[in-house]
Amino acid sequence: MPSEGKPRLQILQGTLDLVVLRTLRSLGPRHAYGIAARLEQVSGDLLKLNQGTLYPALVRLEQQGRIKGKWDTTENGREAKYYAITKAGLKALGEETQRWRQLSGLMEKLLGEES
Amino acid sequence: MRHCRRLFAKLKNLFRRAHAERELNREVSAHLTLLEDEFQSRGMSPDEARIEARRAYGGVEQAKQLHREERSILWLEETVADLRFACRSLLKTPGFTTVAVLTLALGIGANIAIFTVVNAVLLRPLPFQHPERLVRVFDDLKGAGAKDVGMSEPEFEDLRDRSGVFDNISVIFPLSTALSGGNHPERIELLMTSADYFQLLGAQAELGRVYEPRDARPGFTESVVISDGLWKRQFGGDPHILGRRIRVDEDGYTIVGVMPPDFRHPGQTLAGDVELWAACGFAADPLPSPPVRAQRLLPGAMARLKPGLTIQQAQQHLDALAAQLAQTYPKEYPASSRWSLRLEPVEQTLTGSVRPTLVVLLAAVGLVLLMVAVNMASLLVARSSARIRELAIRQALGASRTRLVRQLLTESVLLSLIGGLAAMLVLALTKGSLLALMPSDLPRLSEVHFDARALSLACVLSLLTGILFGLTPSLHASSTDPNRDLKEGTRGGTSSLRQNRFRSALVATEIALSVVLLSGAGLLVHSFWNTLRANPGFDPNGLIVARIWIPFPNNPAMNRYRTAPAIAGFTREILRRVRALPGIEEAAMGGDNSVPLVTNTGNQTAFSLPDQSDSAVKQRSAESASVSPEFFQVLRTPLLRGRFFTEADTDKTKPVVIVNESLAKQYLLGRDVGRIMNFGGADWEIVGVIADLRDDGLDTKVAPRFYRPLYQGPANEMAIFLRGASDSSGLKQAVTGIVQAVDPDLPVYGVRTMREMMATSLARRRFSLSLMAVFGALALFLASIGIYGVMAYAVSQRAQEFSIRMALGAQPRDILLLSLRPGAILTLTGVALGLAAAQGATHLMASLLFGVSPSDPMTFVGVPIALASVALLACWIPAQRAVRIPPVAALRS
Repeated sequence: MPSEGKPRLQILQGTLDLVVLRTLRSLGPRHAYGIAARLEQVSGDLLKLNQGTLYPALVRLEQQGRIKGKWDTTENGREAKYYAITKAGLKALGEETQRWRQLSGLMEKLLGEES
Repeated sequence: MRHCRRLFAKLKNLFRRAHAERELNREVSAHLTLLEDEFQSRGMSPDEARIEARRAYGGVEQAKQLHREERSILWLEETVADLRFACRSLLKTPGFTTVAVLTLALGIGANIAIFTVVNAVLLRPLPFQHPERLVRVFDDLKGAGAKDVGMSEPEFEDLRDRSGVFDNISVIFPLSTALSGGNHPERIELLMTSADYFQLLGAQAELGRVYEPRDARPGFTESVVISDGLWKRQFGGDPHILGRRIRVDEDGYTIVGVMPPDFRHPGQTLAGDVELWAACGFAADPLPSPPVRAQRLLPGAMARLKPGLTIQQAQQHLDALAAQLAQTYPKEYPASSRWSLRLEPVEQTLTGSVRPTLVVLLAAVGLVLLMVAVNMASLLVARSSARIRELAIRQALGASRTRLVRQLLTESVLLSLIGGLAAMLVLALTKGSLLALMPSDLPRLSEVHFDARALSLACVLSLLTGILFGLTPSLHASSTDPNRDLKEGTRGGTSSLRQNRFRSALVATEIALSVVLLSGAGLLVHSFWNTLRANPGFDPNGLIVARIWIPFPNNPAMNRYRTAPAIAGFTREILRRVRALPGIEEAAMGGDNSVPLVTNTGNQTAFSLPDQSDSAVKQRSAESASVSPEFFQVLRTPLLRGRFFTEADTDKTKPVVIVNESLAKQYLLGRDVGRIMNFGGADWEIVGVIADLRDDGLDTKVAPRFYRPLYQGPANEMAIFLRGASDSSGLKQAVTGIVQAVDPDLPVYGVRTMREMMATSLARRRFSLSLMAVFGALALFLASIGIYGVMAYAVSQRAQEFSIRMALGAQPRDILLLSLRPGAILTLTGVALGLAAAQGATHLMASLLFGVSPSDPMTFVGVPIALASVALLACWIPAQRAVRIPPVAALRS
């Protein structure tokens, strides 16, 4: 759980979808909790994330056909909805990653000039 | 593609809300379980783990809401839910729903019906190319106060060749005519026009061709065009009709075209639709050749303005032309007559006379809808007070005020949409019988049908009405304080009174609106009563009229009735024979314009009084008719001074006239019998003054009019007046037989009793009166329901109070007065407001009134009294009930 005092980042609008896709591609099918756990693990305490806020992104991506959900059981015998990335999702991931890199590169440059 | 797919998924979720919600719950609880497992595995107790899991997850409800917003179109989903809920709650109260839908259907349906007529008659442009450029041209003699005096052929030529403002111009000369060459001889309506007529309108024949400018001749053109109706009736729709020879008033013509079924001449006709069009140059037989400028034999003209010219600009050109002509021909245009040319849009000439009626009806029906809306609002307020706890609970559970308003509005809009739909269904089913109710002389009646405009108005009206009557009550109902209302709903208290005060305001509005409607209806009833009571100047009982068309061949030599002796001989022979018919006591005949209540061509005759010193500068004009000696006795029109015409007044003796009272009053100023009138180039001696005969309609002012002896001149239209029979059906055969025994070529038409003719002439007035009466009755009904509802509720709310008062010794009379008082105050407020509004509103209908001022005291005293009595009766019933409640029962309840 995030500790007090440290400044925490709000996830940027629109980047959550990209992060979810990326996570699913590297880890394979995961349930919402799994995705959230992975995000926390990677970001450490830097990212403020209520796990519930993942849901809109999941609905959106599923409606866009980029991921597909399926009920299954975990290794502990609990039921959970597993999301897997689809072909369309892979394609979109490629495009979005490219775009994000360009954007962040540009930001980098602009901010570098400023200072 | 991606967006489409998402939209589709969202729409799917609209209707699978329950499924989506189940899935979400399952996923959330699975998620929480996994989190709990995780925390337990880190060594927490199950309770600690559950709490930690919730903390890590964040707000469950917020997450769910985010999910909902993302997965579907939220506002639509909510609307769908609202609609479902509205349907359920409407179905739960079938009584309320039925009453609401019925009143709304009535209100909306009446509006659509009236609008459909207004749309066809007043709004929709005439079915011709650029109808805004079509105008009528009239000649006026302003100096004589005479409008539309007709036009001479040289004047027409000047308009055509020298005005410079018209693309096309055509004479418009409606005429009766005898048609032979078809199945049987028949009197039909002929329109004589210039060869430009069809080009002017931009109309094409359906079969064959129309005549064209190159067909122009000084006299009649050989080629004629017939209507679709005549083609089917007289020629059985013969496809080889083109080239067929017909005889019209003895003259031979060839049919070259048949017009489409929906083509109508856009102007006033004599009795029905024009069925035959003939082109004429009006400069050869039977008209004088060469034409005479001072003889205005043509009734008028229709023209198409050059593109880009406004009517005002064109009028200025015509004013200049008239001034110029007056200078060139001082003898024909004496300065005193102030001859002028006047332009009027064709549309206005055609529909101007019904515009006030339709506008008033539209306003009235709009008021009815407003009343329906107010009544609905009042019903809804009553309904929402019954639902006050439901609303309070919803609010306590977190529904926002807008959300509540939206839900209540959904209900009212749904109601009015159902009402609108029901109205359209009923209208579509009863269209035929509704059209049959319309007065048949309504212009453009054949064009009345539903169109996209009426349909969209139905939708807009339904929506607007729903919002109008739903918005205030729902705003009102949603301004609840859950804390108070949850307590209050259990036992009647103050907030219900607050609701009732609002309803009272609505009911006062209803009463005010119904005062306006009833005053309008009252004024029309009073006017109608006046027209029925008005002395027509003749005795219509047992009087029958049969009309004869005397052919008017182009070759004067062919005209058997060209001379006065011929007319006199014919008249005497007919009269001799009809007097022998069983049951006939007396008979008379009349010539042109002698039949009362029939649309006359209206052109007036200008005359002068040679013994008057100003006769050179002052022009006078009057209508004229010719009648046989017995005419006034048969019609029982009283002679005021002088004598009737006699058999001795013929073309061999001195020309005489009888004038009506209006002419004597307006022009002769006390000295009448024995004076000379000069017109048509001759001196006529006034031998009698007759009482006014209401020739132009029972509800129009009598115009100055003079009568010539039938035996002193020719006539084209004749009529037989028979006294003694009450039924026209048997007489048609007999009279036709007699006339055709004298001359087999003469068609007899229009055999009707005078009573029937009077009914027809009042048809339009009767129509608007009946509608206004229905609207007024509806208004009264709605208002009394409204006031009854409020009073019944108020009394039931105060039952305990009344019981306590009774227990403490109040008498039934005290209770009665106590419960009547609010109703009386309400009624009086409404009536006062309504009277003020009605004073303004009824002035708009001044042109529909006859013999009644817009602030008619009888109406403005009678209506409030009637309304107040009904309203007080509506209050009396619940008040009576209040007195009868046994105090013990009320106290215990």
